Formats: sequence, C-alpha cells, structure tokens
Amino acid sequence: MAFDLNLSQDQRLIVEAAAALLAESFPLGRLREARQDDLAPLCAFGAFSLSASEEEGGSGFTIVEEALVHTLLGRHLLTTRSLATTVAAAVARSVGEGALATAIASLGRPVCAGLPGAQGILVLDPVPNAAVLVFGDRQLSLVETGAVREQPGLGHSVAVALAGGTGSTLASTDDPARLAAADLLVSCHLLGVAEGARDLAVAYAAMRRQFGKPIGAFQAVKHHAADMAIRAEMLSAQRDMAAIALADRRPDAAFQVAALRRLAPPVALANARACIQLHGGIGFSAEADAHHFVKHAHALSRLGEAASLLDLPSPMAPRQPAAERT
Amino acid sequence: MQLTTTPEDETFRTAARAWLAANVPGERPPREGKAAADFTRAWLRRCQQGGWAGIAWPRQYGGQGLPPQRILIWYEEYVRARAPSVLDGSFVALNHAGPTLIACGSEDQKAFHLPKILSGDALWCQGFSEPDAGSDLASLRTQGVVDGDHLVVNGQKIWSSYSDHADYQELLIRTEPGSRHHKGLSWVICDMRAPGITVRPIRNLAGVSHFAEVFYDDVRIPLSSVVGPLHDGWRVAMTTLGFERKTAAMGLQFELGVRIEDLIALARPRAGTALAERLADLRAEAAALRAMTYRTVLREPVTPSDGSMMRLYFAELAQRIFAAAMDVLGPEALLDGAWSHDYLEAYSETIAGGTAEIQRNIIAERVLGLPRE
Repeated sequence: MAFDLNLSQDQRLIVEAAAALLAESFPLGRLREARQDDLAPLCAFGAFSLSASEEEGGSGFTIVEEALVHTLLGRHLLTTRSLATTVAAAVARSVGEGALATAIASLGRPVCAGLPGAQGILVLDPVPNAAVLVFGDRQLSLVETGAVREQPGLGHSVAVALAGGTGSTLASTDDPARLAAADLLVSCHLLGVAEGARDLAVAYAAMRRQFGKPIGAFQAVKHHAADMAIRAEMLSAQRDMAAIALADRRPDAAFQVAALRRLAPPVALANARACIQLHGGIGFSAEADAHHFVKHAHALSRLGEAASLLDLPSPMAPRQPAAERT
Repeated sequence: MQLTTTPEDETFRTAARAWLAANVPGERPPREGKAAADFTRAWLRRCQQGGWAGIAWPRQYGGQGLPPQRILIWYEEYVRARAPSVLDGSFVALNHAGPTLIACGSEDQKAFHLPKILSGDALWCQGFSEPDAGSDLASLRTQGVVDGDHLVVNGQKIWSSYSDHADYQELLIRTEPGSRHHKGLSWVICDMRAPGITVRPIRNLAGVSHFAEVFYDDVRIPLSSVVGPLHDGWRVAMTTLGFERKTAAMGLQFELGVRIEDLIALARPRAGTALAERLADLRAEAAALRAMTYRTVLREPVTPSDGSMMRLYFAELAQRIFAAAMDVLGPEALLDGAWSHDYLEAYSETIAGGTAEIQRNIIAERVLGLPRE
C-alpha cells in the first residue's frame, strides 16, 4: 500500500527485536547504579548504522526505521552517547569520512554529545578517548577535545564534564538535510522519554492503592494520565510524518521536522513532570526511576535548536489569502 | 509506513482543486436561521452536480466510494480552497444519520432518505441530549410508547443543532417501559414537521441561535421509522461513532490548519517576539493535529478509543488558536468579526459531543486501561 501508516513487516520485526534487546540489556532499574551504559549490545544489533547502505557497512534501512529504534532508546533512557554515535557516524559518512564513520558505528571511536557553553564545551556522559559531537547553532561538528573535567550535574544518569578547549575537527556539516536528520533523532529520544514516563506513571497508578482502591481510579489522576497519553500520541504521529517526509525528501520535510523538534521538549518534560507527580512521595526520591525522565528530558532538549518554523512554508497554506482580515 | 501518492491520486487532486476553485462560494455563509440552511442546501446541490457528493459514502448509495488517501486529498483541497465549513447544517445528515442508515437502516429507509441527504433536500439534526441526560446520555427519558403501528413520543431534547430548519431528526428515545441506562432505547427517524413538535431556538454565548430545545407532545412516529431493531437503539447510536470520529473530523481538523495559517498571515506585520513564539507553537501543534488525522485514517488503532485522543487534542488546540487570535487583534478583538465570533463559538469545543472531562475518563480507562471509578 502506498498510503499506509501501519508498520511494515520489516518495521514490526525490527521494533520487536529492538524492544526485546532493550528490555534484556537496558532495564530502567540499571539507572539506580552509577555506571555508564555499555553500548556494545546495541552495536551488535546494528543500531548505529541502520540507515547506512550495506556497502557502507550499514543495514540499508531508512531514517524511518532509525527513528522507530531511537524512540525505543529514548524510552529506555539510553545515554545521549547512543544518539551522538548514530548522528556522528552519519555526519562522517556525509562528508566522505567512511573509515571514521565505520569506526564510530562499531564503537571503536566512542562519541559523546556536546553543547557549546559559556565555559567551554559541555560534554554529556563522558567516556575516555571520546570524540565529541557538538550540537551548535544549525551546525554539527565532531571534534577532539583532549582531557575533560567531570562536573557535578543533575545526577548520575546525566553525567557532565567540561572540555578545556577544542582540538582538531574530525567532521562538520551545516547541510540542512543532515541537521534535520539529527533533529528528528533528538526528537525521537524525547518522544521515547514521553512514552516511557507515561507508561511508568500509568503502571504505578494502576498498582498503588489509597482510600481502598488504585489511585488510577480517581479522576484527578486519570486526567493527568490522559494528558500524558495525548501528548505522546500527538508527538509520535508527528514523528511518523517527519520521518517519512525526510526519507522521501518531500518538499515539506523541513517544516515537518521543525514542527516535531519544537514540540518534543515541552512534551517530554510535561510527561516527565507528571510521572513524578503521580508517583507522590516516592516520585520525589532518588530510589524511584521517575526523576531520570526529567533529567534526560532536559539534557536532550539542549541538543541543537529547531529551525525557525515561521520561516518555512506550511503544507496547509490556503490557496488564496483570506478576504477578511479580522 | 508510506505516504506515496499514485499519479491517479495526483490527477484526482488536480481535478478537485480546479472544481473547488471554480465553485466555492465567495461569500461567508450566513450564521443562522433559514438563510444558513438555504446556503447549505445550495452548496450540497452544487457538490452533487459537480460529482463530489458523499465523498466518504459508498458508491452504491450515491457517494464517491473513495479510498482513504483520496478522502484526505479531497478535504485538504477543500479547506485550502476555503469551501464552506463542514460543521454546518449538513453535518449530522452526512456524517451521522446517513452513515447510520447505511449501516443499520432498512432498504426502504435507505432508498427514501439517502438521496435526499446528498442532494441537500433533507437536512438532519440530532436528538440525543436531554436536560437531565448530558454526559450521562444513557439516562435519557424521552419516551416512545408503541400504539398499533406507531410510537407515541413525549418528552424533550436539547442542544439539537440546526433543528429549527432541519427536515429530519435522529431521535434516541426510551421505548421499553421500565428499562434503564442504555437498554430499551430506540433510534428513530423523526419528521420535524410532524404535529406535536415544538422547536425553541436557544441563543448561544456568541449571540446566534443554531441550536434549540425540541419538545414532543404526543408525536406519532411510524414503527417503520425505527432504525435497527426496536429497543436496540444504543447499539445503533454507537455504530456510527467511528465514522464521525474519522471522516467528519478530517474536514474540521484540516480547517483548523488553514485558520492558523491565516492567523500567522494576519499577525506577521504586528507580532512581537512573544506572540511569534506562541504562533510558532500553535503552527507546530496544528501540524501534529494533521499528523494525528492521517494516523487515525491510515493506521489500525491500538484500541478502539484511540480517536478520543485526537478529538480532545483538536478541541483544546482550537481554543488555543482562537484565544491567540484575540491577542493578535488587540483592541479590534472587541468588535464582532470572523475571529472574535469564532473565538466565542470555540468555547463549545470542549463541551459538545462529550465534555473534555468525559473524554479524559475515556482515554484513561479505554486507552490506558486504568480502572473505572
């Protein structure tokens, strides 16, 4: 079918396989221990080169499948290195650095996400010998930073370090299509945060009992849960629209991705916040998993900025200007 | 997941665009009364003459029998050409009564009523809500007593939109004596000219009367006008909800997509940074509403109630967009104009067809599986 938003057979298989792998290797409970995610199982899965062609050592899928898988990574609150690795490999490929791309996707060259800050580059989830993918102002640059100094951050699930200075640039791009692909994947992780927070909150509301019944039976709780569901549904529908538009190089691709990237941070944060609220006291504790969603939402939201939506033509523009102005 | 149109789809789009450009009335439809009803009838007639009647209806009943992607294309072209709002006096007939007759009606009922709906000769209104049966619709009390081959109806309905000039009403009444809740109801076709019917228009907060109270005083309705089995009206009423949520919603939701574009065009010369940010948010949200509309039509739902998320999102987004319009207008917002009028009308969005509160309960229970209260 040419016009169909159901997952294809291939897409269903890859989503199911990724979900099984993540449940096995990256349960949320792992975040209670202060250790960094080991991305090796995802590398074995091919998660960092899904949309690279087979000649390039990838799986030959499109950015649509990549978006679906990265949404699942977001749900499991995978380190931002998982996102930076996929994007950095794609950037390297796009500028003809095939060997570097292969090294990145195979984790031979680790990559961390970085943000330009007032005191230097802020490196997220630092690991030794990593290159840093800096999400700049409509610019992606993969740089060597040399030594970094770990800093106190919001918590161990989003570790931060400061890089003293930048060394050589390994690859860099301001190609709008490449930036849009990065914006799409950042948004997918944020969508995953929104979905994961919704599911955690709903499971808790169905289980936790007060006044002799599950708190999820009370309308005040139900209405928060319903809003979480609507926000996640809205964002995932836009994820599909943006991913397909980008994969097909449709004329509205930039618009769809900019809309998605604009919507994603507030949606992720609102769901993460509601997840803490619905957990009550335990939600405020570091022992529950709810707080990690808030911290990931903030970290992901900082990775680049949406293109200016009002400067892009909308696919729903009327054919004639309005006759009445007021 | 794919959104690839065929060359035939694009030919269809071109034809729809050309016909709409040549036939969409230039003037804004009258807001109420006979003039509004006449405008609606004339527009339906024109659509039928052009070969565009019943876009989402099956071919055997006079519709176009179009596949989902063509219906999406039609409504996108329809709203972008500024064709009359789909939420007018034809809404119940085309999106509710007609599809209900197609699904549950007798051959005689279909043969008599369906052609009249498509030609604009019969406008319909809804007779579901009552003064004491709003969100709790199943507690309705308007009664139909079997008397020979007729039902004798007594009671009162309310919020019956366009009933002042409608020809027929889809009427949900209690026909089984002593029955309670959703049992013992019947879905009947009520001729609005039958003796014993009194329509009292209600002025809404936007200053117009497009809905009304309807009183029934020994109104005789032939048993042959019962749709589906007698006493099985709840099931009949639920049959067409899916149609309403999908196809009817499409036109309305795309319409909102055009309104935000108009608002941005209106605001551009005068918007400061804060307003521009707000409009960009609304534009992104309207894009997501369109994406939800596509998803609802082109994907198997995870639960039968998935559409309720889109319905509520639409309602609240409409209110946000019109509220922003009032701020774009500034002092002119106090004058009666298209934007200020539609702003006031939009207060109904989170009430009509299921309040936002009921919708949230439905989402929590039927989509998320939380326990009933």
